[in-house]
Amino acid sequence: MSAMPSQTSAAGFRAQISGASLWDLVQMECMSRSRQVFRVGGEGGVGYLYFAEGRVVHAVTSRLSGEIAALEILGWTNGSFQPCERAWPAAFTIESSCEALILRLAKRRDEAASNLVAFPGRPASVDEEQFEEIEIEEIHEEGEMRAPNNTDHPPSSTAAAVARSDISAEFPVTMRLAPGGGVLTSKGADDEMAGVVAYAHRLGQLTGELLGLEPFVAMECTFADGRLLLFEEENGETVALRSRTESNLQPLRDKLGL
Amino acid sequence: MATGTNGLPAGLASAVASALATARAQMHASLVTLKDVYGITGSFVYARSGHLVARELPPMFDDIALSEAGSRLARLHETFSSVGDKLEIAVLRFREHKVYVKSLPAGALCIISSGSVNMPALRMAANLVGRRIAPVLDHVADDAKLVETPPTAAAATVTSATSADAASPAGPRPPAQAPPGMRRFRGRPVG
Repeated sequence: MSAMPSQTSAAGFRAQISGASLWDLVQMECMSRSRQVFRVGGEGGVGYLYFAEGRVVHAVTSRLSGEIAALEILGWTNGSFQPCERAWPAAFTIESSCEALILRLAKRRDEAASNLVAFPGRPASVDEEQFEEIEIEEIHEEGEMRAPNNTDHPPSSTAAAVARSDISAEFPVTMRLAPGGGVLTSKGADDEMAGVVAYAHRLGQLTGELLGLEPFVAMECTFADGRLLLFEEENGETVALRSRTESNLQPLRDKLGL
Repeated sequence: MATGTNGLPAGLASAVASALATARAQMHASLVTLKDVYGITGSFVYARSGHLVARELPPMFDDIALSEAGSRLARLHETFSSVGDKLEIAVLRFREHKVYVKSLPAGALCIISSGSVNMPALRMAANLVGRRIAPVLDHVADDAKLVETPPTAAAATVTSATSADAASPAGPRPPAQAPPGMRRFRGRPVG
């Protein structure tokens, strides 16, 4: 990770540091209590970290917003960062202190290392009480942000974001399958469920093709003792989430167009 | 003794055909009411085996496709059943449409709608229609002959029932028009 020269006209030194980490940036900005937006380019794409009041107050990537986005960005290990001018959100989306953020990321890394990742993009360390539904925002080149979701419009473009933004402890069972059917990640699921999910997905696709309604986007199945949400991401991966009967799925339904 | 189209006594075959037509007309009348909900394109009913039993959809949805789709949706039920989950409702979202599937004891009610349909209204309408058609579908499903009518024959019957000549609902398609080897009665090829 290297720091690139600032593109802003703010007074002060311009720095170009090789070997700096994002944590150096976070600690420096938190200590200085500056109000600044940083553009971070890493292996996961481009993201923005908003610093104010001595902490990270907002973060956004092309798919995520809020603390989940911050954790994703801070998980990148290679790339560059630089200050930039960018519109600020109407309200801060991250309440955690800098230290709490560091602890969550560390825990997330530990769990990833032990192959117990709860779900891609979902920090396993985010407690149920702490988890808040994240407003999905699209990043526009001009720097303004808006919520893209509208159930009147095709929902497929939001599915990828949903996968990483609304996954909470509401879902005791989660699974992500590769287009070829391989299990990419799984929590609380067995091999049998992989088969069920893969086949149910295929049957949904076929139903759409036969009725001339394709492409398939998502499916919600209601059982006596729970529900299963299944949706397809733009990269072809299939995501399945099993919830309890009493769980409130409406926000997720809205985003998936269900 | 004179025999009917499926090797049954002529009187029995006629009674069965009449019962089938009546059952389908009853289900069709219920399906029509679903269109009170803005955004609902139409609906169809399939038996547990996946066979199309009744329909109320624009002609662009042909019966063979509906029967094939019903077969896939029936397999969806079976898929979940195989792991101990009894599917009650399934909502499938496609780019611009939704398919709402409500399980019934002897099959399922399947509703095709636009993506922006009022879901609470759709759910309520589906519940009411489901309650009305469930006993009829049970009756139809009890008779293997009715359920196992091939899709193409079902298409002819249903199309006739929804035509302008609804006052005289048609019976099963005459055997001369049915594909060879397709007719069955209680699991046996007949006719």
